[in-house]
Amino acid sequence: MTGRERQDRRAAIAFVAPAVVVLAALTAGPALWIFWLSLRERLPVFGVDRLTGFGHYAFLATDARFWSAFRVTIIFTIASVALELVLGLGVALALRGQRVGRRSALSLLLLAWALPGVVTARVFEWLYYPAGGFVNVILGTPLNWLGSPTLALPALIVADVWRTMPFVALFCYARLLTIPAAVYEAAAVDGASRSATFRFVTLPLLGPVLLVTLLFRTLDALRAFDLMFVLTGGGPAGMTETLTVYAYRSLFQTLRLGFGSAIGVVVFLLVMLVAAAYLRVLRRQDATA
Amino acid sequence: MTLPDARNILTAAAVVAVVLLAGCGERARPDGPVTIVFKHARMFGDDPVPRLIAAFEARHPGIRVKTEALGASSDEQHQFFVINLEGARGRGAGFDVMMLDVIWVPEFARAGWLLDLTDSLAPGELAGHFPAAAEAARWNGRVWALPWNFNVGLLYYRADLLARHGLSPPRTDAELANAVRVIQAAERDPKLDGFVWQGKQYEGLVCNALEALWASGTTLIASTGEVLPDPARAEAALARLRGWIDAGLSPAWVSAADEELTRRAFGDGRAIFLRNWFYAMDLFEEPNSPVRGKVGVAPLPRLTEGVGAPGATGGSLLGVSRGSRHPEAAVALARFLASEDAQRVLAGGSVLPTRAALYADPALVAKRPHMPAFRDLATSARPRPLTPAYLMLSTSLQPEVSAAVVGVKSPARAVADARHQLEHALSGLR
Amino acid sequence: MRRRPLAADVAVLALLTLYAVPFLWQLLTSFKPEAELLRVPPLWPSRLTLEHYGVVFAQSAMPRALANSLAVGVLTTLLGCALGVPAAYAMATLRVPGAGALMLGIVASTAFPQIATVSPLYLVMRGLGLRDTWAALVLADASFALPFVIWLMTRFMREIPRELSEAAALDGAGRWLTLLKIHLPLTAPGLASVALLTFLFAWNEFLFAFTFTATEASRTVPVALALFPGVFEVPWGDIAAASILASVPPVLIVVLLQRWLVRGLLAGSLTE
Repeated sequence: MTGRERQDRRAAIAFVAPAVVVLAALTAGPALWIFWLSLRERLPVFGVDRLTGFGHYAFLATDARFWSAFRVTIIFTIASVALELVLGLGVALALRGQRVGRRSALSLLLLAWALPGVVTARVFEWLYYPAGGFVNVILGTPLNWLGSPTLALPALIVADVWRTMPFVALFCYARLLTIPAAVYEAAAVDGASRSATFRFVTLPLLGPVLLVTLLFRTLDALRAFDLMFVLTGGGPAGMTETLTVYAYRSLFQTLRLGFGSAIGVVVFLLVMLVAAAYLRVLRRQDATA
Repeated sequence: MTLPDARNILTAAAVVAVVLLAGCGERARPDGPVTIVFKHARMFGDDPVPRLIAAFEARHPGIRVKTEALGASSDEQHQFFVINLEGARGRGAGFDVMMLDVIWVPEFARAGWLLDLTDSLAPGELAGHFPAAAEAARWNGRVWALPWNFNVGLLYYRADLLARHGLSPPRTDAELANAVRVIQAAERDPKLDGFVWQGKQYEGLVCNALEALWASGTTLIASTGEVLPDPARAEAALARLRGWIDAGLSPAWVSAADEELTRRAFGDGRAIFLRNWFYAMDLFEEPNSPVRGKVGVAPLPRLTEGVGAPGATGGSLLGVSRGSRHPEAAVALARFLASEDAQRVLAGGSVLPTRAALYADPALVAKRPHMPAFRDLATSARPRPLTPAYLMLSTSLQPEVSAAVVGVKSPARAVADARHQLEHALSGLR
Repeated sequence: MRRRPLAADVAVLALLTLYAVPFLWQLLTSFKPEAELLRVPPLWPSRLTLEHYGVVFAQSAMPRALANSLAVGVLTTLLGCALGVPAAYAMATLRVPGAGALMLGIVASTAFPQIATVSPLYLVMRGLGLRDTWAALVLADASFALPFVIWLMTRFMREIPRELSEAAALDGAGRWLTLLKIHLPLTAPGLASVALLTFLFAWNEFLFAFTFTATEASRTVPVALALFPGVFEVPWGDIAAASILASVPPVLIVVLLQRWLVRGLLAGSLTE
């Protein structure tokens, strides 16, 4: 190694070291530590700190509340992501030809995405209020959206789709803008109908973007916390309690750090599994593209 | 006037010097008075606490009391205390006297956050309080807090409606159901609900559930430490709660209702019966209350004859932080605030005392004619399970009871799942 | 493509306005007099009032929370950039040992669920005595801010031609100077986007803020809004006013700084 190269190597390490140290302490460290915590019974209030092996996991396997939370998480994720994709794509297509007021359009759209989740929760709590909320006034119904065991989850999903659809729309819109007009002109020359153009020209070109967006959105839906925690608190009767809410409650209502960490590990593994699966699909796509 | 002679001047100088030096010993600052911090939640309405603090400071010139507010909800207050006391390792969390919910004393005592008050109290100092209130102050044979204010679960009823239809206050479930049906049929008011109680998924629900368990002849934790020792009776208790909704005696919205929502419904004249706490009565008797003069109080209805239906206790106690830098001053403040005189002042406001004698006090009874009835209810009240694990058990129990109340789970399923959950929660402590 | 008629553009704008109605309804509610909140229809109030904003400013924890959020947001952005930009520069222009694995780890860490890291972080903050401080939140937020900054800035810096840095090297400039004089100015727009997004995420962050704060001393806006007190009934008007205040920076970013926002968002997903 030349002197310059050695100098460069030293500089490289020096530039990267502080960030790596901080990241190790704040992400990698905790990510490993939570596995360790999940194997322990840790109750700070009681001074309990001992090894319990896979006891928490054994309990979760037979815990009705855990499986209910798992089911709610999966339903929430699939429904939310599916709706976001369909609506987002639709909005992107509608925006594609926009000439007047493009910035205003994007502002109106991105507003929903940029708001804090807690604000969205409060907004929808007010919209869903049974005795005079906007939804019941407009629909003329007396329904108790957030208090009904059957309506609460759909109501939550609607709120989540409202705030996440703009993200999908933006990505699809940006990609659509990069498709040269020549492609569509060629399709028109070939006599393709509008739906055929969409299916055989637009959609394939959007494919990679849709997949990446799907990945981001799925991971975010699996990890979602603030909206359900503030809007419904997981109620009524656990109908909107996702794994994250169950984990948080177990962790911080009474500081059951070991048990709550076990649920956290499940969420972690779920997210990593889904991410890995998506990436494999993406890599295959890139390879064949 | 004679001029002070040299000896007097020297004596005065010596006294001043001693006082200043004593002040220096306290902290780095040379000013005299000891400052203790009292953390408490704000009281409804006219807050009598500032007046009491002023009286205390007048009586103890060397002590200054700084009050700091706690969050509105019990959960928020609990989180505040846990975060600030846990891991502080006696470094002192910045407050000396704290207002504790009745359910926290065993937990905080076990965690070592409270100062043992047993030896600081006069013998029999707790005797003046209701047994259920005093019980909540003890754990493991020692006294850890002083009872401060009190609430008991009871049945409120519309005396005017019952009288109009020739009914007496119901003593059993059957009588209550009958009363609701008769009155609703006769009044023909679609907005008049029957029996409202707290069914939302929170601590208040557990109070209702405990009262149902006790009325069914069972309890949450047996003396052996077993959780829900009698599943059949526990099932009956949950079935009773859900049954009120199924039979149309309670409106469906009770499953999302807390104290304030139900109090307002009853206070606006929209319900015949209400299960709530002592504090609500004052609000019903306010000058512009629609139900003023129409409200009666009664013990909770029994499920079966022969099995009592005690109300659960609520309220707060005063504890002293173990890390307090001025324990004597803090204990003095706590004892002062819990004394009969201070509780009499509090009772003049909107807060009910824990001392039985005050419920027969002529001045207070004149203002609140229902005090003697409250006294009887308080004597038979029952505290929630006094275990350090109470919050852990309650937070694991709430979703199960809520599921039964909402009708998502059968009572049998809810009891089975609750036992499973609570067993696991307790196993961590063994 | 056939030119789209103006009517279509207007229709799209109308639909998107409808889409924003939830927020607009909250905005309207915040100006509605208390007595008219539940008297709907009519949807529009008889008069507009500032009483709810008055309550929020005079009686709630929101003013303090706004200050806390501003501080935490700015400090998180500064920390993220201070540590992340040099790291990105090194990853983009120098041969960092283990760069491949490092980058993979950094990108992977953006997928870590907060619920998974919060319990160990709680123990860390407790051990460091940082509960209920800005520092706790800044560090916790750095856990997602830092990977984000590094990931995007590495991308941006890679776009700068090698010749420029080599020329600087020939002129005798050290690595720091090259970063400051060449790479930073050239990636300034990208850095602005990244900083903006970091601030936005820190402002909106809830889980860590809810866990590590205990009093108004350090509570941020989302937590204050979630805990908004209602002793008797839920004060819908006051909550609406508080929600609007909580939304001010996000709205400003979306409306006034849209270009940078969009660029930052899209940069994170370029599939090239």
